[in-house]
Amino acid sequence: MSRFGRARLPRGEGPWPWLAAGSVALSLLMFSGLLLLLAVRGLGHFWPAPLSLVALEDGRLLAGQVVREERLPGGAGRERLYLTANRDLDGAIWSWVAVDEIAEESHPRDLVVLERTRWGSFHGRLLALEDAAGRVEGEAAWQALQERLGELEALRRERAHLRDRVVVPLVRRLERGADAALAAELGAANARIRQLQARMGGTRLLLESVDGRRLEQPLEQVLRAWRPNAMSAPRKLAAWGHGVWRFLSEGPRAANTAGGVWPAIFGTVLMVLLMSVVVTPFGVLAGIYLNEVAHQGRFTRLVRIAVRNLAGVPSIVYGVFGLGVFVYGIGGTLDEWFFADQLPSPTFGTGGLLWASLTLALLTLPVVIVATEEGLARVPDHQREGALALGATRVEMLTRVVLPMTAPAMLTGVILAVARAAGEVAPLMLVGVAKLAPQVPVDGEFPFLHLEQKFMHLGYHIYDVAFHGGDVEAALPLVYATALLLVLVILVLNLTAIFLRHHLRARHGTVPRR
Amino acid sequence: MTEPLPPRPEPRRQWSRRLRDRLATLLITAGGLGVVAAVLAIGVFLALEVAPLFLAAEASLGWGELWREYWQPGTLPGETPAYGMLPLAWGTLKAAFWALLFAIPLALGAAIHSALYMPPRLRSRLKPTLEMMEAMPGVVVGFVAGLVLAPWVERHLAGALALALVLPAGMLLAGMAWTRLPPGLRRRLLPGWAGLWLMPWLALLATLSLWLSPVLEGLLFNGDLRHWLAARFGLDYASRNALIVGLAMGFAVIPGIYALAEDALTGVPASLGEGAQALGATRWQSLWKVVLPAAAPGVFSAVMIGAGRAVGETMIVLMASGNTALMTLSPLEGMRSMAATIAIELPEAVPGGVHYRLLFLAALALFAFTFLVNTLAELVRARLRRRYRRLEAAT
Amino acid sequence: MSESEAMVYAVGAAHQRGTAVCGQPPGQWWRGSPRRQLTRLGVALLLAFCLAGSARAADDEVVGTLGAVGSDTLAGLMLRWGEALTERYPAVRLQLQASGSASAPTALIAGTTRLGPMSRPMSEAERDAFTARHGYPPLEIEVARDALAVIVHRHNPLESLTLAELDAIFSRTRRCGADEPIDDWSQLGLAEPTGRIVLHGRNVASGTHDVIRLHGLCGGNFRLNVNEHPGSAAVVAAVAAESAAIGFAGLNHLTPSVRVIPRRDGESGERHPPSPATVAGGDYPLARSLYLYVNRRPGEPLPGPERAFLDLVLSQEGQSIVEELGFVPLPAAARARQLGRLSDGPVG
Repeated sequence: MSRFGRARLPRGEGPWPWLAAGSVALSLLMFSGLLLLLAVRGLGHFWPAPLSLVALEDGRLLAGQVVREERLPGGAGRERLYLTANRDLDGAIWSWVAVDEIAEESHPRDLVVLERTRWGSFHGRLLALEDAAGRVEGEAAWQALQERLGELEALRRERAHLRDRVVVPLVRRLERGADAALAAELGAANARIRQLQARMGGTRLLLESVDGRRLEQPLEQVLRAWRPNAMSAPRKLAAWGHGVWRFLSEGPRAANTAGGVWPAIFGTVLMVLLMSVVVTPFGVLAGIYLNEVAHQGRFTRLVRIAVRNLAGVPSIVYGVFGLGVFVYGIGGTLDEWFFADQLPSPTFGTGGLLWASLTLALLTLPVVIVATEEGLARVPDHQREGALALGATRVEMLTRVVLPMTAPAMLTGVILAVARAAGEVAPLMLVGVAKLAPQVPVDGEFPFLHLEQKFMHLGYHIYDVAFHGGDVEAALPLVYATALLLVLVILVLNLTAIFLRHHLRARHGTVPRR
Repeated sequence: MTEPLPPRPEPRRQWSRRLRDRLATLLITAGGLGVVAAVLAIGVFLALEVAPLFLAAEASLGWGELWREYWQPGTLPGETPAYGMLPLAWGTLKAAFWALLFAIPLALGAAIHSALYMPPRLRSRLKPTLEMMEAMPGVVVGFVAGLVLAPWVERHLAGALALALVLPAGMLLAGMAWTRLPPGLRRRLLPGWAGLWLMPWLALLATLSLWLSPVLEGLLFNGDLRHWLAARFGLDYASRNALIVGLAMGFAVIPGIYALAEDALTGVPASLGEGAQALGATRWQSLWKVVLPAAAPGVFSAVMIGAGRAVGETMIVLMASGNTALMTLSPLEGMRSMAATIAIELPEAVPGGVHYRLLFLAALALFAFTFLVNTLAELVRARLRRRYRRLEAAT
Repeated sequence: MSESEAMVYAVGAAHQRGTAVCGQPPGQWWRGSPRRQLTRLGVALLLAFCLAGSARAADDEVVGTLGAVGSDTLAGLMLRWGEALTERYPAVRLQLQASGSASAPTALIAGTTRLGPMSRPMSEAERDAFTARHGYPPLEIEVARDALAVIVHRHNPLESLTLAELDAIFSRTRRCGADEPIDDWSQLGLAEPTGRIVLHGRNVASGTHDVIRLHGLCGGNFRLNVNEHPGSAAVVAAVAAESAAIGFAGLNHLTPSVRVIPRRDGESGERHPPSPATVAGGDYPLARSLYLYVNRRPGEPLPGPERAFLDLVLSQEGQSIVEELGFVPLPAAARARQLGRLSDGPVG
């Protein structure tokens, strides 16, 4: 249709083409709107929000971050939702305040936000810091707090290192066979850990909420402290960057409502890697068979149609198949043959990394087969004939001439398969995903890759935190951030595949073989 | 002097090469057939799991059981479960219907505009963009639809429904205004690029419509559209309803239909359209009377493939539909689809039990439906390709 | 030397040569040339089949993987208990799947898990199926108590509900004694909100669903237009977003965006809001115990991780976590009783 050239629409075209143009505009608008929503809400979560000190008409004071506003029923004005934290003092972390009742709203620079390991965050003021050496008050307390938090972080890292690198391997070696030297090492390591814990303790913070209630907070439960109203823009930017980094590198805390998504990222990547290891050889083999080896008759045409159709079968059906055949069938049998002494604790008879990868490999197999076939079809016949004429056997012709030329197409197929698998959640709900599995399935202990373990997955994490979490309102920003991460990963993969395909077309042209 | 011929490989090496060739061919054949068989075994496995339901004496069910109206598998002691699959089938079809109702006009309109009016450079950028729209994971679309869109639409119901009128009217208004623009401006805002420059205009209209939503509601509906709908039509409004699901699933399905429909439209031989134009038709008339009828099978097959995708989508319906096992016609009520039921209930079904096998039956139904629809669509497209070749040869 | 020992020594030797994956911190296992990666991965994959699985417990250190499948209501508790357990015994890990109470008996019977948290007691049929499969009944441990609150939007002025009214609102069978269905807010005497009552509840896989049916609907069936949510938090979020909504959720998920409706006694007119006191006193009917079902063969001790977990759950620390998450902790006598069950044989 481009052969009509860039002729202008004559006046008499009528109104309908404008509806067609509007359809394109509307589709693009919806797509960009969705991306914008995820980007703003997701990235905005890490920006340190200002803390408002709200004085109400009746004299109450509260300190919170503004979340949103809603209309009051009956047109009586609006009300605002504040995140006031202080779960241990107030029993809840939210406050709805009618805008009309607000007497004054200010942003004092000395208000502090503390992120804690128990009872969530704290909003209020720092009065003093007490330890064995004495008591520090005022601004000096703030300086001392930041110093101690830095030390605490280093001590925590050392303790985690000791636990993961020294104690856990020692324990596993010991339980394989007692050894006095190892036991002494373990004792020394445990003693060192206890020493560290003693050093971490002993400091208390004296805190006060804005309405005058006092709180003694042990310092070892505090992760971070900052004064949002006193931060300059570059400081906020740095805090934003650190927040994003922690989101990507830490594990989840507080039952999936805080912390980061590192195990989910790792689990997704690992599963997708395993899946591509399985799907590439089989998909390529099937594609080569259909295109090069099989007799091109009716049967092959039917098979080709069937393979293309399977790309359209709902993913939940693959999940059902995986559950029935892999988990209950093969997994149960494996357990009975090899791991009977562990029963009834299942090893392979339950969902896990292996079965999830196999199920998704089956799901994305048609994608790889179709991409391989397209690539093979694009190799001109004369290349094949030339190789044969020079005396190559068929397999030599395939491996030395055709496959190297098809490699980019196969790569495109694998990338598309990976992009599809990264976003599928429905089959994983049935075959292997866990709500929480903070230990990633690859670690330093034998056999290093634990195929029977459950894993976390970015897509399932979104569903789980949004619908199964403890407080949906509190977890919503994290869900946006996770959704943004997943969408970015998939978009980057798709862009790579599109770019590769474009490059392919430029190189080999679009002449089909048949 | 010509170069001497390369030495012939000795017979032993020849033999080993031939052996390797045979072995490798065998391997490829085995692998290829095996993979194809595995892929087709899914249907066979599902059928095998379902068969005991209707054949065996224990854990079996009469056909009549399935046609009941209640799906209530979980039971308190002393109760018999109700396994009527009608509400599930109804919900699946209702969700697919509303998704297609939303997606088909947009996708076909986009395909028409892109095939007929867009300059090729822009079209080659649009296609991958819409492909990336298809890549958006269902869980993200579902979460936005269920947790963000549904409450928001409920608060601005009048404005949201008004969008269905305001946006098309806005598109037509833009067209009218464009024909009256001075030629200088018309050269800047080319109709081929209308897909892009209509975006800010539509965004503005949408914002205006939603901003005026409370005013509208106050003027026309006594301040509460939901109450008015309930009083006047007896329609109850559920926050997560077929409209939301249709919007979300339609968003997911549009790129698929667009790609195939656009292929069909661009595949029509140019001579047909040019002939019509030579006889004095406008571009739109040539499309409507000549090109579209020629490409009709391809467009139809695109819609069928979209229907297959809509029927099988799980996460969006799970998160945005309320999962109410109702059988109503109202677009303002929720539904429960088969795929969502499988996802929720299969982990808790005892393997080998009636509930378990029924869920397998639902999976088999989904598999069979999408397989048939896709096969039909593929056959139609093959016939269309042959028809185009004949038309091409004839002209 | 047995075959597995030979394999261990082979890997140990490889470790000393520095070419094994082991020994590198988890974040860096991907370093090295692609061929090396592939070799490592291949070796790891090959060997992974041989020695997968959880380890046995040592004397004073606890090692292994703890799996649990079951209730969503207990999910937050299980996660926090799991975190506390890993604090104490760093070599233990917890893997949790929480899709609803009904998935626990299925998994316990099929053998896909050893621990099954449930927010309702196992039915006779489920117990029988378990006994038929394993030869002994499941061990039932009560770990906490909970109340189910009826919630409405924060601007809904509804004051209280009797059991019959609740039944008439939510069910289509009305077995608790109501004459007519209550479809509209006006039937409860409210001017605001207007219109039909929008219902929110849990799906069939949930124990909360069954508890409400038993105690709230007198064994009846829910209406067809109850929006089904996979978790209590989702119910709270849905009710908080709709002014005409009503739903039920566990006490521990409540936020100030919703209001709790106390139960009104039909005759005396007394109000009984859900709280630890009314739950203990039995005045609030929508109360329940939360259970942990364990697969333990009588006469055999539990594996180390499971035993350590249950000890933690029934300890002071475990019950303080119960309180922090908004549930009702077990009174001391009940705790002692459950600890006794752990040590003696299982009594169903």
